[in-house]
Amino acid sequence: MAIIEVTNVNFSYDQAHILENLWLTVASGSFLAVAGPNGAGKSTLLYILAGLLKPASGSVSIESKPIGSYSFMDLARKIAFVRQEFVPAFGFTVEETVAMARAPYLQGFGFETPDDLAIVNEALEATETAQFAKRHLYQLSGGERQRVFVARALAQQTPILLLDEPMSFLDLKHQVDIYDLLKKMQTRLGKTILLISHDINVAAQYCDNILLLSADRKYHFGTAEEIFRPELIKEVFGVSGYAGSLGKERFFIPLGKFAKDAEISG
Amino acid sequence: MLTQTTLITRIMIAVAILLVVCGFCLMTGTEKISPGNILKGPGSVPGSNIEYEIFIGVRLPRVLLAALVGAALAGSGVILQAILRNPLADPFILGISSGAGLGAVIAIIAGFTFTFLGGSPITVCAFAGALTTVWIVWAIGRFTTKSELTSLLLAGVVVNAFFSALIMFLTSIAKSEQMQATVFWLMGNISETSLPVIIVNFVIVLAGLAVLWSICLELNLLSFGESQAQNLGVDPTRIKLIAFTASAIITAVAVSLSGLVGFVGLIVPHAIRLVLGPDHRQLLPISAIIGAAFLVLADTIARTIVAPAQLPVGVITAMTGGPFFLILLARYTRKISWFSK
Repeated sequence: MAIIEVTNVNFSYDQAHILENLWLTVASGSFLAVAGPNGAGKSTLLYILAGLLKPASGSVSIESKPIGSYSFMDLARKIAFVRQEFVPAFGFTVEETVAMARAPYLQGFGFETPDDLAIVNEALEATETAQFAKRHLYQLSGGERQRVFVARALAQQTPILLLDEPMSFLDLKHQVDIYDLLKKMQTRLGKTILLISHDINVAAQYCDNILLLSADRKYHFGTAEEIFRPELIKEVFGVSGYAGSLGKERFFIPLGKFAKDAEISG
Repeated sequence: MLTQTTLITRIMIAVAILLVVCGFCLMTGTEKISPGNILKGPGSVPGSNIEYEIFIGVRLPRVLLAALVGAALAGSGVILQAILRNPLADPFILGISSGAGLGAVIAIIAGFTFTFLGGSPITVCAFAGALTTVWIVWAIGRFTTKSELTSLLLAGVVVNAFFSALIMFLTSIAKSEQMQATVFWLMGNISETSLPVIIVNFVIVLAGLAVLWSICLELNLLSFGESQAQNLGVDPTRIKLIAFTASAIITAVAVSLSGLVGFVGLIVPHAIRLVLGPDHRQLLPISAIIGAAFLVLADTIARTIVAPAQLPVGVITAMTGGPFFLILLARYTRKISWFSK
């Protein structure tokens, strides 16, 4: 069953066309990686799906309802969005930041119940951020902060998770940990995950499909095997390389003119 | 993490501090008065109990007025710092001070004599000037660019500069006694006002603070930016409109009654944030209560330190609040967040 349907969406910033005639159906409980060169419209697409930008034309439906028909509160219970890190103007602690994810569920005077706090603690534990729960966000490294925002998205308990380059500040171990965590959430809790990543090899190991956006507004959707074709990568990224497989996993090694094995890609 | 019990306890402590300060300040002044004589009542003949007359006619309105102005300015400072995500914001940042000032100067120079709902012409004109200015700044901010916060701040700066120039122009062509009245008003002056006027304005300020308190959870989320707040269920436009409107009204009430009392709206929120943290559900009520206590105390010093003359209260707020804030800053410097990174 489709949980997200994007129908013929167009979007421009002033005169620059960012998305043109984009059609996309995301099945409930699937894991989709969004990739493409800078300026291809990856973040714009996620902003539109999060209800933060309105397309110039076309429509977006979440669970078969137009996104515009959701109230802000209802949408916050459907979609959590992790973006590249942002430090607030005032010094909230890690715990306070993650607890804000419960805002769409709070009743009465707006205080977290013991159940809310249990969910917050669970999210902190899952992202290995519980150890610095009492510290201020500005006291953390970029990678630690990024994990806090992933924890907040988990605590928001939404069926859909959008992540805009969540691994950008993370070391290899924490990248893999977060991917494992996301995969667990997909398989055990049935969450639908859309993730922008520049590291298509790691993303390909976890996602079901890849949506490849190109700067000339052509869109390619498929499995890693379908997407990791040297001619397609060359067309979209302008980079030659070597596509191969290791067991069940597909990979693509980009090779520039002066790379040691440049001759492999021709 | 802030819990409901912690918040209630802290509010009760803050209220206790306010009551002690008010009690002390009500009994302090050039004329000594005793609680026993006040409790005796006005007496059968008017003027037979002077201490009661002073208490009811002079001290009580003045203490209530100072508390009202302090609560309004500190509360408004919290809100504007949150909405503009700018630690340097104060209640006057969007030009409300110059608008009120222009209204007051026009009332002084034109020699208006009318009253409206018990308010003097200066009060009424300052209130109208303050609200008109906020409306102009808001309209410019919404109209000009996509980056609303920056254009609001710039619109505030421009309108402030323009109205300040008009105030200087009008002051320079005013008669000397009009000029003195204008300068004294601009320095911030809590003078005796009738009890009914204060009570009406107290209700307005309390209602405004209650409305603002109801959006404090949303203000916490807005600290992370409008789009993040929206992802957590906040309607940023609605919250900003409520925040600006309510804080503009309570600031306009404060400014129209007391002139430009600086420092309270900037420093009290910072001091409370340093000590108790940035959660607005706590920051707003505690800042308003402590802001009230601080201004009551500052005004008592202003009216007694060079008695029988009186200092503008703005002088006292800056002279006492500055060093006190520096002590807090040094003590809690490791907890400061907004100067780091």
